[in-house]
Amino acid sequence: MMTVADNSATIAETQAETPVSFPLGLLGFEAYKHFVLIHSPEEEPFGWLQVPEDSRLAFLVLSPFCVVPDYQAEISEEDARFLGLKSPGDALIYNIVTLRPGAPATINLKGPIVINRETMVGRQVVLVNAAAYAVQHPLPADDSN
Amino acid sequence: MLILSRRVGESLVIDGRIRVKVVRTEGDVVKIGIEAPADVPVHREEVYDEIQRNNRDALTNARPATLPKLPRPAKSAKP
Repeated sequence: MMTVADNSATIAETQAETPVSFPLGLLGFEAYKHFVLIHSPEEEPFGWLQVPEDSRLAFLVLSPFCVVPDYQAEISEEDARFLGLKSPGDALIYNIVTLRPGAPATINLKGPIVINRETMVGRQVVLVNAAAYAVQHPLPADDSN
Repeated sequence: MLILSRRVGESLVIDGRIRVKVVRTEGDVVKIGIEAPADVPVHREEVYDEIQRNNRDALTNARPATLPKLPRPAKSAKP
């Protein structure tokens, strides 16, 4: 088992548009093998995982450490081997955000997207410690203003 | 649905490459061992269903003009 640490600093190093391949697709979207990871300064810390064939289709993603600073992503041996992760530092981790009209947005902390930052091969995994996290974890509200 | 009887310790072979073994039973809990190639994901059904449903809800076909505003992080993320 491997526990991925906070990598939010390394996310900023990734390029504005980076292709990521998902050999298994995402859960429920098994046919979607390729996405483009998009970051723009005005949308930080959010990013988009966009379907290349249809730029309208995209998942909003966010580093889980922006929401839960002590997030513990325990990744199974099988998933780490599949992704070719040799050390936790090889992994980028993003979680899918769901925007809900009239309701707080949520983030899926149970099934994060883990990407090998060297190969840019990704997989949506179910954490070994999935029981500790919710699929629909509310995003914290900004109460500073 | 195909229904087969197996004893503890016995297995099924699916497609010549996936082995499903009944490891032991404890009351109404059945421990199952699965050997599958790396490209065959195995999930508990209820977890798979919940994440799949959430993914479907999350996929947008119209990017919003504004995104949720997060509280400032406790630690300074940007120099």
